[in-house]
Amino acid sequence: MSRGFNKLLDAVVRIDVREFEFEAGARHFASSIGSGVILSDDGLVLTNAHVASPRAVEISVTLASLERVRATLVGWDHWTDLALLRLDLADIQRRGLKFTHAEFGDSAKLSVGETVFAVGTPYGLTRTATRGIISNNDRYFEDARGVNGYETGTFNTWLQTDAAINPGNSGGPLVTEDGRVVGINARAYAGADNLGFAIPANIAKRVVDSLVRNGTLVRSYIGLVPRELQDLESFYALSLNTGLLINNVDRDSPAARAGIRAGDVLLAINGVKVDGRFPEQLPPIQNLIASQPVGTVLKLTMKRGAETRDYTVVTEKLESRIGEEWEFEKWGLSVRKVSRTFARENQLPDSAGVLVIGVQPGFPAGVTGISNGDIISKVNQQPVESLDVIKRVYASYDAKPEPVLVEVLRNRQISLYVLKP
Amino acid sequence: MKFFLGNVFSLFNAPLGRRGFVGARAASLGLLPTLMTLAIFPPQVRADDLPALWAERVKSVVAVEYYVETEIERRPSVAYGTVIDDKGTIILPSVAVNPRATPAQLKDFKVYRPGNPVSVAGEYLGQDALTGWHFVRAAESIRSELVPITKFAAKTPVEPALAEEIWGIGLRNKDEDFLPYLLSSRIALKQRLPQQMAIAQQEVAGPGLPAFNRAGEFIGLAASSFGQNYLQFSRDDRGGAPVILVNVEESGALLVADEVLPYLGRIPQNIFGRPLAWLGAYGLEPVDPDVAKFLKLDGQSAVVVSEVLEGSPAEAGGLKDRDILLAIDGKPLPRFRPDRAVVEYVGREIQKRRPGDAITFAVLRGEARVNAKITLGDQPKLLNEAERKYFDRIGFTAREFVYDDAVARRAKTGDAAGVIAHFVKPNSPAATAGLRIDDWIKEIDGSEVKTFAAAATQLATIDSDRARSETVLLVSRGAETAVLRVKL
Repeated sequence: MSRGFNKLLDAVVRIDVREFEFEAGARHFASSIGSGVILSDDGLVLTNAHVASPRAVEISVTLASLERVRATLVGWDHWTDLALLRLDLADIQRRGLKFTHAEFGDSAKLSVGETVFAVGTPYGLTRTATRGIISNNDRYFEDARGVNGYETGTFNTWLQTDAAINPGNSGGPLVTEDGRVVGINARAYAGADNLGFAIPANIAKRVVDSLVRNGTLVRSYIGLVPRELQDLESFYALSLNTGLLINNVDRDSPAARAGIRAGDVLLAINGVKVDGRFPEQLPPIQNLIASQPVGTVLKLTMKRGAETRDYTVVTEKLESRIGEEWEFEKWGLSVRKVSRTFARENQLPDSAGVLVIGVQPGFPAGVTGISNGDIISKVNQQPVESLDVIKRVYASYDAKPEPVLVEVLRNRQISLYVLKP
Repeated sequence: MKFFLGNVFSLFNAPLGRRGFVGARAASLGLLPTLMTLAIFPPQVRADDLPALWAERVKSVVAVEYYVETEIERRPSVAYGTVIDDKGTIILPSVAVNPRATPAQLKDFKVYRPGNPVSVAGEYLGQDALTGWHFVRAAESIRSELVPITKFAAKTPVEPALAEEIWGIGLRNKDEDFLPYLLSSRIALKQRLPQQMAIAQQEVAGPGLPAFNRAGEFIGLAASSFGQNYLQFSRDDRGGAPVILVNVEESGALLVADEVLPYLGRIPQNIFGRPLAWLGAYGLEPVDPDVAKFLKLDGQSAVVVSEVLEGSPAEAGGLKDRDILLAIDGKPLPRFRPDRAVVEYVGREIQKRRPGDAITFAVLRGEARVNAKITLGDQPKLLNEAERKYFDRIGFTAREFVYDDAVARRAKTGDAAGVIAHFVKPNSPAATAGLRIDDWIKEIDGSEVKTFAAAATQLATIDSDRARSETVLLVSRGAETAVLRVKL
């Protein structure tokens, strides 16, 4: 193999993560193994968001030398399934450990049929390289719950490869023969023969830049859900390769407030024509909107029936459906803040309240009849506008256990429960 | 271990003031003193009188066969009924008819006497909202051979005592000419749910058929049957897998005579059972004893109102979301075991009244106690009253959008335009395009649906135009919309 490839092998690491889960109404720990690739001399490691998330309490990285080093999470971006870690450099220097780092290639230059290698830790088998080709370099693959329940794939397409990708490969690099990183392996169809998917390096580069600088990647949101126009051009009286069909406009979103409706066709954004004829053309258009700074004024040229007109929308910050999570151990209760997106999807009147995601049998919440999926809207008659409201009530219960009145919304039905010490 | 299925517990979920489908519905019987029951305990009857009692009483039961005709199929259904008067009127339990079927889809009612293969025509009269009973009237030719159950009612109301021996009638299937057979058991448990129920150790009658005491007095009507838990052992599962078996032909749960006889006069005036009283309070939930204690409502039963519906009598009368109902017309809500039965109790209180009647709720609102006096309204058009039309080529039934559709979709009733996909024919163009039952169709070919009539006309034109190759629907489902391309 090339010198570059051998150098790359020394930059691929195994990642062991211990993270907590809220699902059972108590803090439980789970361990998992993934892969990663070192990007810089100062110890930045790129992996998947579904390998290392803010739930991680302990991340340990095994270098090519088989030495283990602690790492911390710099930031994550579930939309692209990427997370960035930083190695404990002080420890590395103290112990005199050495590592090399990999170089990105240009994923836009990949052609179908080109040989690529996946390197990683499938099933814990450290430093495994598998070989295949680029099967498709523009695969559309959106999954509303793909990264531990978080949304993914909305803003990027994927590289598809037949290089064997197995559980544990996640976060490892997809590389060309010269050892350049062209993708980060993320997912595969379970049970299929070598249908694996990787995030293209050119997407990853931008995400890494933002995570290094800000620890996060903020995106803009206007509330349009597109659909490919394929075969509907004649119905909408459009010439081919023109426009993007709006399948849904989120309630109370900037687009809805501007008057845009489902069934409208988006022709141009700030005068730049869009072409959403095929599904894989949707993510770049979505990304065009998302990559604007929050608060940007966009001019959307829309067609409705025979009429074409411009709408002005101001972008808002994109939010995940999944809000902050917390557990109240003495109640045997885990909750997640209701987000605006969750409220919208579930037709709740507003984003007040917390969603019950775990109940431990035999503890007060379970005993009184609260169950998963319930939304706690009030505690001791106070509206749960933030997690803090319920945390305060819990703190006083923790100090001095007294019955707590809980109002629960379950399928629009309001029930009252008492948490008894 | 026995427990109820279907028409006893699930009914309690029926939203208040809206039509529930109910098998066992009860009046507030009050606590009939046990001593009194004992005082009128029937004199001992010699066992050999039973054949004579049987021969007379079997004339008050029938089997009713009818067809449910949907867009693509015609399915026979059989239910058991009890004769209630000398005009050939028969009551069937609520579960006898699938609630999704509309009266117009119920066809060819036939009435069979037990053991007799010859049927006569029956006429469907409708369903009563309070009792849930469906009423059918048998053709004149056999009326003289039927004996109303009222003939066997005791002079003063009797309620079976715990451990009392009772008997009833079951009917075999159609292929056995609905031959009648004897069932008997003893009363094991009595419970208000909220109607007074007497539960026997085993099945004592077919659902909808009567049971009697040893004196031959009518003591109750069988509700739908029990589900029973079993462990099923097999070679593969030596630990045993739990299964629930429901005996749909026989039941051991009886609605006592006093919950039946006073309501036999509720023969529907029309096929939809109107007039129907309407409150418009949605999602009633019982308050459990712990919460009642916390709210200082000791020993009091109470119900939370989840939502007060837009434009409803409840809204007009000042009821608010989250109000806790404590009493009706000054009478505190009684306590039931389980708590849930109180929800059905409130629902029945509404259905006992008529549109225009007043009802006053004592309400706990936050810390305050207030009274809400409400004049009950007339139920808005119900789902099964909504107009509908089937389009065979596109492959779905469009249904008029009614008030309950707006409630279910959290839409403002004022914006209620569009039609509902009531039925989608499997593998039809509509199904292939992704249309699903209960989708809300808001636009057809880019033009907004304003009224059912306009949509029906537009769809009929598309359906019959052989030159058309596609139609495009904008549908709403949950919080989202989708553009569906239907290739014809």
